[in-house]
Amino acid sequence: MSISLLVTIGVVIVLVLMYNSLVGKKNQVENIFASVDTMLKKRYDLIPNLVASVSKYMEHEKSLLSELTKLRAQANKPNVSDTQKIELDAKMSAALGSLMIAVEAYPDLKANENVMHLQRSLNEVEEQISAARRAYNQAVTDYNNAIEMIPTNIMAQLMRYRRKEVFEIPQNERKNVNVKELFQ
Amino acid sequence: MKTLSQLTDFYYKELYPQLQDLDKRRKEIRFKIVLTSAFTLLIFAIILAFITKAYGFSFDLLFIGGALVSILFPLLYKFYTKEYTKTFKNRIITPLIQELSQRLSYTTSAYIPESVFMQSEIFQRPDRYRGNDYIKGIIDGVSLQFSDIHAEKKVKDSKGRTSWKTLFKGLYIVSDFHKEFHGHTMVLPDSAEKLFGNFLGQFLQSKNFTKNQLVKMDNSAFEKEFVVYATDQIEARYILSHTLMQKILELRNKTQHPLSIAFVANKVHIAIHYNKDLLEPTLFRSLLEYKTAMEYIKTLIVSVGIIHELKLNEKLWSKK
Repeated sequence: MSISLLVTIGVVIVLVLMYNSLVGKKNQVENIFASVDTMLKKRYDLIPNLVASVSKYMEHEKSLLSELTKLRAQANKPNVSDTQKIELDAKMSAALGSLMIAVEAYPDLKANENVMHLQRSLNEVEEQISAARRAYNQAVTDYNNAIEMIPTNIMAQLMRYRRKEVFEIPQNERKNVNVKELFQ
Repeated sequence: MKTLSQLTDFYYKELYPQLQDLDKRRKEIRFKIVLTSAFTLLIFAIILAFITKAYGFSFDLLFIGGALVSILFPLLYKFYTKEYTKTFKNRIITPLIQELSQRLSYTTSAYIPESVFMQSEIFQRPDRYRGNDYIKGIIDGVSLQFSDIHAEKKVKDSKGRTSWKTLFKGLYIVSDFHKEFHGHTMVLPDSAEKLFGNFLGQFLQSKNFTKNQLVKMDNSAFEKEFVVYATDQIEARYILSHTLMQKILELRNKTQHPLSIAFVANKVHIAIHYNKDLLEPTLFRSLLEYKTAMEYIKTLIVSVGIIHELKLNEKLWSKK
């Protein structure tokens, strides 16, 4: 067997491996994003109930509540892109955070069984979303590294793979302040 | 649960008469062991001298002598210290555990069952599995059990000789975990990354076919010390929150020994590789010494304190 044939076979194998690893990384990002999406939906589903339960008590927070409802409506629209979903999630987290702080001023709310239950569910979902966001960011980092590093970057360019955005992890989440602590 | 200083006070105040009594016995036993050893050595030296005179010197003789000593000495030690160990555990360790918390039970000869040990999947199946000092109880509504474990694997070398390789020796703790999960997540000491650096180390870890998926964590100090394998990338991060990673690092620094942790079937299994049998009485150091006391007290405080250290008692609301 001639040397040139061996070299060709070698090059083909390397190319196939590179191609497969890139596709694998892209699919990993998509898979994890699907899980993130499911959990975000779970949180959006809690919003109408939460708004309905607290709106009776929270007279001065009407704008905050309507903001929550608006964000949910936007997220539920068809054809929302992944980037938009990421942006909406950041806004939603901020709005929910403000709501949780605002709840502090209403002792009646703390006594309401329904609201307490919603807070529990929300706390759980928040933890799950946080985990999913971190998993997504890691998958995206691996993917972005692969499409920018030599030699896979050349292949990635040919495959028209583009950099993907990561979720901004809110500062308070890094410190792991949980909703529960805000109520104590 | 009592604190370290409260328990130290108890050790020196309440247990003092017992300790004094035991320490007297310790000295007697130590004297007996030293005397017997000296006597055995003397006899061995005499026999060696005779044989050398008659047949000439041979290294084989020294080897046989060494083998005899390595078999005899542990037997002798066990024989002399058996009663002393039993009394020590009854009169010192038992009250110490009772003082730590009324809700703990202590059995000297029992240990974590092998089936529970195997659930973690951290270690290979051992051929010899032993243990002692089984402590079980409920602290702050969290069920907890731990014991000394020594798990060994039989290995054969090329010449067909068998020997025992230690898979794990140290403290094995099993406790309820405060979050619900379905998969399997494992945190192991990171040897590859330390040896080969970040890039090559992670590459080798990701090619480990005997384990689940490699999970890269977003805490660099944690990632340097540990490697995480899990069945589910998201679930692993759900379990290992930033706080828990920090707490595990703190625990690692506190114990100063390697840690292997598994999260399985809503429990957390923590294996602390102390590499020795804990809660055993000292023979060549006084029981009244501060260092000795601290060893017993710290072992108990660290094991039971894990519930507070890792905040296992702070249940998520949905798990109520």
